[in-house]
Amino acid sequence: MGERSRQVGKRIGCAVIASAAAVTLGLSVHHGLQTTAAALGPAMSDRQTTLFRQEECLYQAIRSMVPKGATVYVDSPYWPLMQKLTELSTLWAVPQPSLATAQYKLSAVSAHGDCSGIALEVRRP
Amino acid sequence: MKALFVLVVGLGAPGILPSLAVARRSPVLVFLAPLAGAGMVAVAAEIELGVGGSLVADYAVVAVAANLAVTAWWLAARRSLRPWAGPSWGWSIVTVVVVLAAAAVPLDALRVPMIGGDGNSIWLTHALMVYGGHHELLTDLQNVAYRFSNPDYPLLAPAAGALAFAFFGLGNLHLAVDMTVLLSACGLGVVGTGIAVAASGGSQGGRPSQGGSGGMGPSRKRSQQSGGRQPTRAAAVAAAGAICVVGFAVSGVFEIQGYADLLWAVAAVGAVIWGLVLPQSAQALGVAWICAVVASLTKNEGLTTAIAILVLIALRYRPLTRPVLAARRWAERAAFVAVPALPGLAWAGLVRLIGLHDAFFRATSPESPVTRAGATVAGMAAHLAVAPVDLAVLLVGCWFLRRDRERARLGNPAWLWAAWLGSLAILFATYMIGGPEIHGWLTASVNRTTIFAQVLLYADLAIWLVIAVDGAFTRADSEQRDVGQSAASVASNPRRTETLTPNVDKLRTRDR
Repeated sequence: MGERSRQVGKRIGCAVIASAAAVTLGLSVHHGLQTTAAALGPAMSDRQTTLFRQEECLYQAIRSMVPKGATVYVDSPYWPLMQKLTELSTLWAVPQPSLATAQYKLSAVSAHGDCSGIALEVRRP
Repeated sequence: MKALFVLVVGLGAPGILPSLAVARRSPVLVFLAPLAGAGMVAVAAEIELGVGGSLVADYAVVAVAANLAVTAWWLAARRSLRPWAGPSWGWSIVTVVVVLAAAAVPLDALRVPMIGGDGNSIWLTHALMVYGGHHELLTDLQNVAYRFSNPDYPLLAPAAGALAFAFFGLGNLHLAVDMTVLLSACGLGVVGTGIAVAASGGSQGGRPSQGGSGGMGPSRKRSQQSGGRQPTRAAAVAAAGAICVVGFAVSGVFEIQGYADLLWAVAAVGAVIWGLVLPQSAQALGVAWICAVVASLTKNEGLTTAIAILVLIALRYRPLTRPVLAARRWAERAAFVAVPALPGLAWAGLVRLIGLHDAFFRATSPESPVTRAGATVAGMAAHLAVAPVDLAVLLVGCWFLRRDRERARLGNPAWLWAAWLGSLAILFATYMIGGPEIHGWLTASVNRTTIFAQVLLYADLAIWLVIAVDGAFTRADSEQRDVGQSAASVASNPRRTETLTPNVDKLRTRDR
């Protein structure tokens, strides 16, 4: 009787664990599938594609408007855009922490056309 | 497709021999080889920064040296290509196919060229620097204008991206993102195959003739008698596939955007599963070490977490014995930690040598410790909703399935929970002593810094699921027979498990 009740208890324990684990993992898998579906949805997809094309456009603009090896100062009130221009200058120009040591000042300005609503502005300080 | 090509040819091919030497014929080999290659390319980036040269030249030197060393060791030790006693060919193929198919679901999001946040400001920026060669890398990392990019972060993800640029040029910057995401998927594959291997835990690391295709017990005969083989394996493979989707679910869109948090986290989870959960063997230890190296070379929190995991692995494989102060044993334990941690520690030393420091610890915070502690605990708890479920499963499992877990020769769950608590303690301490305003810092990061803790708990649930299914299909008589067979097998052949120590079988009892 003791052994039998132990086996019954074990079966119940197995069922509880398997159910809890399966449900928890299943819910997370469901969430993952939703996340992927959202990423592939038309709204998200179009927005991300536009942003990436904008980034590639700025990357090319820097290479066409700034001489290779020039020192540049990136000026933008919007810090993510400042970081992005600094990042995209890598391997081409040399970002400077201050305008005093820079040959060119880079900034992104609103513009129709160009890089999806943004244009690169290059000026001598 | 280009990134997949670089993953297979650029990282997988140079990493296949070291991975084969470690994992033998095992499903994990498919996912471990690119990670081993990524570890080597990260070491090459360290050399590029510290010594000179370009990434490709340094990577060639590192890859050739590593493969020659493995070949020499293999010949010297007369290692055979004998498979370790894991699942059969059929189950190995099924495991790989299921894990690949499951990983392909979240990877489908790579069709959209998403990038942003750290994916831009840190990882793509550093990938371009690494691609530029020694002078570019050194001067850019020291350039104050790049301080926003956390220049002291390790270079594994950027080096993989730079390798892709070396293959295909700078025409598509998203290649760097693709590489990071694919490596994360490989890390999840290592975790998943570890969960699948748990279904053959009792025969793990044994000689093929001793139950190579058995279930969780020590022999094929037993498995057939118990009837637990097919359902257990099916559950294990399903759980292996699930964890691949779960990893991306936990990290959300960040991982698809090129963040490296999931990569270090799943590499560290792989180290826990293979080093602290699966039965002790040289192969499992080797896989765990490679995972720890990858975690330590991916992010700073990966290094600290990997060191904590390596300490636990050292204590599991070299338990505290009398006399406690035996110098040789402590030297072995120290080597168990220092050797795999060496690449990560070398990076930490190198960045300090060239004057790079973490931006988070430049200034002290004006907030009180109580304020920071309260906010940190609340912030972390909000992302650990799975913890109560896993804790309940742990308690029920320890009450009803302790013998099944022992029979499967899986490690005591206390090891995994110690790693989990250790990682959270490190995270808590980081938020406490860091300089940024705590609420903003938590909002920006805690959902990513807790990925390791979350995925580890889901992996633990998957392991318990496998044990529960096996327990449900194991008959009482075969269970008792298994215990007797296990004891007899261990007593008759102390080298059965092929571990690094001849007396590890005796110590295994203490391990549990």
